[in-house]
Amino acid sequence: MASASERSYTRRDTVMFLACLGLSLVALFSPSKWGQDIADALRGTVLAPLVWLQARAEEGRTSRARLQAITLQRDSAAFLAQGIPSLAVENDRLRRLLTLSRRISTPYVAAEVLHQPIPTDPRSLLLDVGRSDLVSEFDPVVAPEGLIGMVASAVDHSSTVMTWAHPEFRVSAYAVGGTASGVVAPSFSTLSGEGALEFRGVPYRDSVPAGTLVLSSGIGGVYPRGIPVGTVTGVVREQAGWERVYRLLPAASPAATAHVLVLVSPPGTSLDRAFPSDSAVRATERDSIAHVRRADSLEAAKARGAGSKDTTR
Amino acid sequence: MSASRANRIQLILVMALLVVLHFYLRPRLWSARVSPDFLLMGLVFFAMRAGPGAGALAGFAVGIVNDALTPAAFGAGALAHTVVGYLAAWGRAVFFADNLLVNAAFVAVALWVRDVILLLASGTAQGRLLVELTLNSPLQAISTAVFALLVLAAFREWFAIRLDV
Repeated sequence: MASASERSYTRRDTVMFLACLGLSLVALFSPSKWGQDIADALRGTVLAPLVWLQARAEEGRTSRARLQAITLQRDSAAFLAQGIPSLAVENDRLRRLLTLSRRISTPYVAAEVLHQPIPTDPRSLLLDVGRSDLVSEFDPVVAPEGLIGMVASAVDHSSTVMTWAHPEFRVSAYAVGGTASGVVAPSFSTLSGEGALEFRGVPYRDSVPAGTLVLSSGIGGVYPRGIPVGTVTGVVREQAGWERVYRLLPAASPAATAHVLVLVSPPGTSLDRAFPSDSAVRATERDSIAHVRRADSLEAAKARGAGSKDTTR
Repeated sequence: MSASRANRIQLILVMALLVVLHFYLRPRLWSARVSPDFLLMGLVFFAMRAGPGAGALAGFAVGIVNDALTPAAFGAGALAHTVVGYLAAWGRAVFFADNLLVNAAFVAVALWVRDVILLLASGTAQGRLLVELTLNSPLQAISTAVFALLVLAAFREWFAIRLDV
């Protein structure tokens, strides 16, 4: 038979367990802003040394690869430096010929991704840069392959990113080379799982073929125009006469990304030129060719007009 | 210094070592989803040597730390770790918890159960849930159990204690 002290001990354990369980449930079902504030406060105070420790570990892990990359870049730069002046002149001349603008240099902050060993990690990434690095909420985060997400919260030396795998993620986008535009959101269908995106709200009349690149449109003011979001792989569902929803293969994978760039430029900047891709280049070429043809036809029309005036005269 | 107090200090030192390993060694290992979770390992070691209440409290603290670092669904980590801490403390009464392999198996099962609760509480899609629970979680459970064996073998004497007796 259990003694009185053992019974009280068990009762105390149960009370502690229920209290912790209750607090967990309150945290889970409370407004996300509260959770975000608590997380920010913890990361900015008691967890700051641990985040710093992990950031140093990530740097240590990647330092050897970085050194090799830097050495290769230095050698290439030294070789290319000899011909830079002539190349620059030639580049300018060619760009003028093709009526292309200069490649945009967007202010950015490079960051390490501090991955956590829990299954929800790809939805919300921890970065080793924060307010002290001029990072703030709603700054877009990109990888070399394309869009990752946006900064959800930032403290002095760390920040969290809401990635495209987060249920609340949305970005307005358009299909390259066409007129289709819509909103991209994470896919939660059984077939696609969390590893896919959906291109929603595309008008039924606008058909988007598989393989088409989808870029951010800049509408909404958070993500600049021109960041690759994904590639169309097929139709998820359609409402006859109204809209089609396309499945997208995401351009960048948050789970596999070790380094990202946080774009700290003001919204409204176009990044079309910063992410050259085959389809984007083809679209630009088509635009340029159409522009030239239009100009030629105008010239021809002017010439015809002048000719007809002469004839009249 | 009494033997009990010395044991507690030894346990605290091992827990501190696990925290350092989690934040400094783990990022240098493999992919984050299959690398060992030293915080969960420390939680199970502590809960199996403390009472269920202390285990639940420690689980809540570890869960809040995880939630603060990955606030995808704040509270889901706390819920999962609280349950795991509580169950691990009860589990040692059912199983022979002084065996190294049993301890390692406890860690592996605890990690998988933690992932199940975490994924369900954070509203993960069915397809992703299956991938995580059949592929990533078992791999991470194995890697964590292997490291748990190493830690237990290295500090076997220090872990031969019961905090609640």
